Amino acid sequence: MRRTDGELILFWTLPVLAFIWVSAFLLFPAFIHPMSPSMTAAQVADFYRDPAHLSRIRYSMILFNWFGVGLIPMLMLLVMQVRRMAHRTPILSYCLLGCTAGGPTVFLIADLFWLLAAFQPGRGPQLTLMFNDLAWMTFTAVVPFLIGQSLVIALAIYLDRPDRPVFRRWVAHFNVVVAAALVPAAFTGLALSGPMAWNGLLPFWVKNIAIGAWIVVMSVALGRNIYRQRAEDSDQRVAEEAAV
Amino acid sequence: MTGVAQAGPQPGAAGQPPGEGTGKSHRAIPGQPDIWVLVLFEALVFTAYFAVYLVHRSAHSELFLRSQAELSPWLGTLDTLLMLTSSLFMLLCVQASRAGAFRAAITHVCITALLGTAFLASKITEWALLAHDGYGFTSNEFFTYYFFLTGIHFLHLLIGFITIGVIIYQLRRRERRSQELVETCAVYWHTVDLLWVLIFSLLYVVR
Amino acid sequence: MSETTAEPGTPPGAPAGSRLSRTAWHWRNNPKRELWFAWYTTVVFYNIFFIVFFPVTHAQPPPHPWWSDAQVAYWFNHNHDGLIIGFAIIFAVAAMTAPQNALIAYSMRRMSVSRAFGYSYLVMYSLSAVPGMLLLCVVLSVGAMRPGRDPAQLHWLYDFAFLSFTGTMGIFLLGSLVWMLAILLDKNRVMPKWFGYLNLCNALTEVVVAPAWIFHRGVLDWNGLISWWINVAVFGIYTGAFITLLRTMILREDFGDGPLPDLKKNHQAKASTLAGTPR
Repeated sequence: MRRTDGELILFWTLPVLAFIWVSAFLLFPAFIHPMSPSMTAAQVADFYRDPAHLSRIRYSMILFNWFGVGLIPMLMLLVMQVRRMAHRTPILSYCLLGCTAGGPTVFLIADLFWLLAAFQPGRGPQLTLMFNDLAWMTFTAVVPFLIGQSLVIALAIYLDRPDRPVFRRWVAHFNVVVAAALVPAAFTGLALSGPMAWNGLLPFWVKNIAIGAWIVVMSVALGRNIYRQRAEDSDQRVAEEAAV
Repeated sequence: MTGVAQAGPQPGAAGQPPGEGTGKSHRAIPGQPDIWVLVLFEALVFTAYFAVYLVHRSAHSELFLRSQAELSPWLGTLDTLLMLTSSLFMLLCVQASRAGAFRAAITHVCITALLGTAFLASKITEWALLAHDGYGFTSNEFFTYYFFLTGIHFLHLLIGFITIGVIIYQLRRRERRSQELVETCAVYWHTVDLLWVLIFSLLYVVR
Repeated sequence: MSETTAEPGTPPGAPAGSRLSRTAWHWRNNPKRELWFAWYTTVVFYNIFFIVFFPVTHAQPPPHPWWSDAQVAYWFNHNHDGLIIGFAIIFAVAAMTAPQNALIAYSMRRMSVSRAFGYSYLVMYSLSAVPGMLLLCVVLSVGAMRPGRDPAQLHWLYDFAFLSFTGTMGIFLLGSLVWMLAILLDKNRVMPKWFGYLNLCNALTEVVVAPAWIFHRGVLDWNGLISWWINVAVFGIYTGAFITLLRTMILREDFGDGPLPDLKKNHQAKASTLAGTPR
């Protein structure tokens, strides 16, 4: 009987986390109809002062603050999968490890800025606008670690042995597509309206849908791997015991 | 790139075990050759600091002269004597170690440490006295340099205590002692001493 | 590539031919390709970093801390396009710092010291990009994006950006000391000892920069002669040194556990025997 090592528990926190994240996402009033960067300071200040919005902003951001790093265990399980691949050195798993540290940290900083903006809505509108800008810019544009994550996973899969790969090749292709989908968001500072603004098609919708899809697809692929590997391990153990 | 024939802290394998046979190192340079990279680099960096100091001094010579008068030449001289004496004992330590007289070597290096500690105490006293008189890091341009240079030297001296620790550790080992490492640490200590002499000359003497 | 110049661990049979075909062959077959990927990424990143931070955004050398609100506002407006485009590029490529940290962590893994050194370094430096570089990028982008912003606010953003960039000291201070300690204790001769000592010099620059949090003018402020110019010279030498040394390390790598062979010996070994096959 395999000793309980907790991996499955960590893995199955994912759907719980997804539920919490989606709820917080829907709760935050500035996500469903994403706030436009071309709103004036007065409009932004009103948005934060609106009592219908204020609680929702605070509670959704508190939720995100609690659970923002919740994806780390899944990311670590991915690192362990990369470690299993037929590479000559562990350097790619180190790369992935490095990238995973950045993503949640950046998200947390954006979260802090939103909470700050909402903390004293009676502040001068210019100040609220500034905190709001800082939050949106951080959230939208600081995508490098997510891009890096996907590209490192793709590279790791491409360099893995082709006959018994840890992940199938389409996972690598998928990761490259996701990375490409995230790149436009980096350039969101260039536009205050239109498809490149932080509420626009590319930096908001494409980016967040890509991230959502990545989480779902990678979770499924990861889960399949974990179960398959555990089955193989127990088969092997049974065979060894029979041979003795 | 690794032109170093020795592998650094691989005691015994690299240099001669101290106190055996020849009793004198066959190497032309004392200690690891690598330490001299550090010495040279630090010397360059400090030269840059001193150059900046001198340039600014010539631009504000009156302010600097006035501020320098607040420093105590006695404490400065005491500090210099402490440092020079500590270097002397460090030298005696290295010689004793080469000759195999390890207990004497340990004694000498402990005296070095004591003198170093006295230096630290003297420095802190001097800083406290200056602070009491109202002169701090941000008081004026001269004192910015003063506290910066003496501060960064203080830090180097603290690192020097770590090297003394390494020396004592090496001297107390029976097997696999590394004379090279002892000499390397000694070189560092002498460098710190030299830096102090230069700082002393610049800050206290040059008027 | 002829046999005499191939590295240990390279399978025999590397083709001669055009540079492109040789590169493609190595990408498919060279067991060190992951290491070379990390190394080339490092080199490319530093080039991008230099181009973006110096000529494009003019964020380095930093402008003066003692400027008035009006001067700061002028700087933002004057550099508007450079700031936004330059930092957008950084937002896209900043993950290139990860392979560099991974390669350095790997160098410590190859040493005879505990794995804890490599992991410590990896974690510390993985954190470093956020407060030490990305915050500046975000804050200056936000400052630039609305030209009509109140100059006093712009000044606050300006201070935030440059102080966070220059003043994030602990990671580089302690991270350098971790690497230094690993190198000095190492018996596998992965890095030369003099580079270990150079790490100490780099760590000390983080001490020297601390007064930037105190001074608004003079040689110790965030763009001062000592805190910036001399420090950056030291950092530049240090970076050039480790990029070169990492390259040499990769060339010498034999995927074993013992001391790394020197490059010269490799040539002799290559001439007499086939290279060891990868495990």
